[in-house]
Amino acid sequence: MFRLFIGNVRIATEAIVANKARTLLTTLGIIIGILAVTLMGTLISGLDRSFERSMSFLGRDVLFISKHEWFGNQEWWEVRNRPDIKLDYAGKLMEYSKYVRAVAPVVRRRLEVVRKGKSVSDVMVVGTTPEYTLTSTINVENGRFITRGEERSGSRVVVIGYDVAQALFEGEDPLDKKVKMGPYSFRVIGVIEKQGKFLGLFSMDDQVIIPLGSFMRLFSRRGWMQLNVKVDSDHVSEARDEVRGIMRRLRGLHPQEKDNFAINQQDAFRKQYGMIKLAIGGTGIFITILSLVVGGIGIMNIMFVSVKERTREIGVRKAIGATRAVILQQFLLEAVFICLIGGLTGLLLAYGGSLLIDKYVFPSTMPVWLAVVSMGLSMLVGIISGLAPSFKAARLDPIEALRYE
Amino acid sequence: MNDLITLKGVTRVYEVGTEKIHALAGVDLTIRPNEYISTMGPSGSGKSTLMNIIGCLDTPTSGTYEFEGEPVHKMDDNQLASIRNRKIGFVFQTFNLLPKLTALRNVELPLIYANVPRDERLEQAERALRRVGLIDRMNHKPNELSGGQRQRVAIARALVTNPSVILADEPTGNLDSKSGEDIMRLFDDLHEAGNTIILVTHEEYIAKHAQRTLHILDGKINEDTLNG
Ligand SMILES: Nc1ncnc2c1ncn2[C@@H]1O[C@H](COP(=O)(O)OP(=O)(O)O)[C@@H](O)[C@H]1O
Ligand SMILES: [Mg+2]
Repeated sequence: MFRLFIGNVRIATEAIVANKARTLLTTLGIIIGILAVTLMGTLISGLDRSFERSMSFLGRDVLFISKHEWFGNQEWWEVRNRPDIKLDYAGKLMEYSKYVRAVAPVVRRRLEVVRKGKSVSDVMVVGTTPEYTLTSTINVENGRFITRGEERSGSRVVVIGYDVAQALFEGEDPLDKKVKMGPYSFRVIGVIEKQGKFLGLFSMDDQVIIPLGSFMRLFSRRGWMQLNVKVDSDHVSEARDEVRGIMRRLRGLHPQEKDNFAINQQDAFRKQYGMIKLAIGGTGIFITILSLVVGGIGIMNIMFVSVKERTREIGVRKAIGATRAVILQQFLLEAVFICLIGGLTGLLLAYGGSLLIDKYVFPSTMPVWLAVVSMGLSMLVGIISGLAPSFKAARLDPIEALRYE
Repeated sequence: MNDLITLKGVTRVYEVGTEKIHALAGVDLTIRPNEYISTMGPSGSGKSTLMNIIGCLDTPTSGTYEFEGEPVHKMDDNQLASIRNRKIGFVFQTFNLLPKLTALRNVELPLIYANVPRDERLEQAERALRRVGLIDRMNHKPNELSGGQRQRVAIARALVTNPSVILADEPTGNLDSKSGEDIMRLFDDLHEAGNTIILVTHEEYIAKHAQRTLHILDGKINEDTLNG
């Protein structure tokens, strides 16, 4: 049986080689289909990876209490009219809650940071407390973070992000040097390790961190404050319920009143991301199925043509002893090979594409399983589209086939 | 000696629309090993139909056909394919070689379906080509060969499996008389060497090569004569 198979492999290959141009044309649908499915898969796996990395900035066990929901659908005025988040909630949460481990109040504002003629505009200036090191993943690589004393006294000290350090202190040690924000001068006490971009969009390295007290005194008394609440990582959802209860109590809300604050979490991003993924995946799968079906029909047609053209050959083969099964196998192999050629071409193109995406868009590699699956898919299309023509060939009557002109 | 081929009351009826064509209308025939038989008859008398049935390319509508004692009329498609492969060598008027394959690979073909290992295949195919005097053309494709040479390749292909019978339906019909005569001499040789040969022809002088001649008329064997 194996020898027969090898014989058929040879016959099928020769048939394809004899019709190169035609074969290439018919594989177009398969190429597109496989290209779509593998590129989409690569894209999603790359997205997944950078998404997970970004999510680690937020922390699974950190709640972000603020006026507005991250992906809320409230009217803007409804959110605006909510009461501000107050600084003293931080202490109260620590006091009343069983699960809260640390609370870092955070206020933000974009400002230009200047040093000796060099400047970086649109820097995210963050005012916060020493607890910030507990609620975030930042790591001070050079120097130190803000102390409690500095925070209380509103010292003019600053911890700068990696990109800011690069831009303002190229080659120099920034520690103890001065930078200016607005009219005020700050002393650099630390540099944060490079963090990368959040969701590939927002750099986490162009921020600077100053004591909350200084921020409030110098820049804004009443910006929108956010509380970053680190909770017991084994009881995140209980903690969320508890924190919500405490917040409602602090706000004096009646049971029938809606929350007038938002507790945000990684989950919000996850849900959103899940939807994006579904959209990309759905589109990809739709394109894939469509092109594979179209491609499959094309291959079925070409196989019917091939069977017709080779009617006499089939007659000869049968006359000298080829069984139906052997003829069936011969033509099925031809269809499968055509599809594999298309699939392989698509895969190679997709691989090239994935290298480009990796280089220019975001880090991604084509998963090996996806390559294997896409080859399996091509074979399946070959078998399905080759079945009817192959059966037709197998069932030809030898005498009629031999008489065919 | 045991009979090689036994047909009893074999008919073959074609239905074309509502009309029934009795291509064979009751044939009784016995053929023993190493017979050399020619078949003659007017066009449309049923010669090819008879050859196709003997060659297991077709099956009788009624009647029985035994080949080496096996009931061919009861066989399924795979069994028929196997008999065609191992027991029968068919030679056609139009050669029916595969145009893209060399002479050697054309001759090798039946051995592929007989599942013979490659080395043996090539050896046997070369031997068959040598037998028909075409070993020096084994790497030529059919369109690089003359008609007579093509028919020799076809005969080599029929021979290569050492079949029990060689069937040839008007093997010289597409050849000039010189090539035809060469082909007939080849058949004579094969018969000398012990092969059983049945061929169809229109030409009296070709039929004369055989020992026995069947005359077919209207789907029946009208006359069955031994040549002097
Ligand atoms: N496939 C077929 N369908 C219908 N009639 C056929 C078919 N093959 C042969 N015949 C008819 O059967 C008869 C015998 O044909 P055939 O055996 O080819 O004759 P011969 O070879 O003696 O010329 C003819 O009348 C022919 O028309
Ligand atoms: Mg005929």
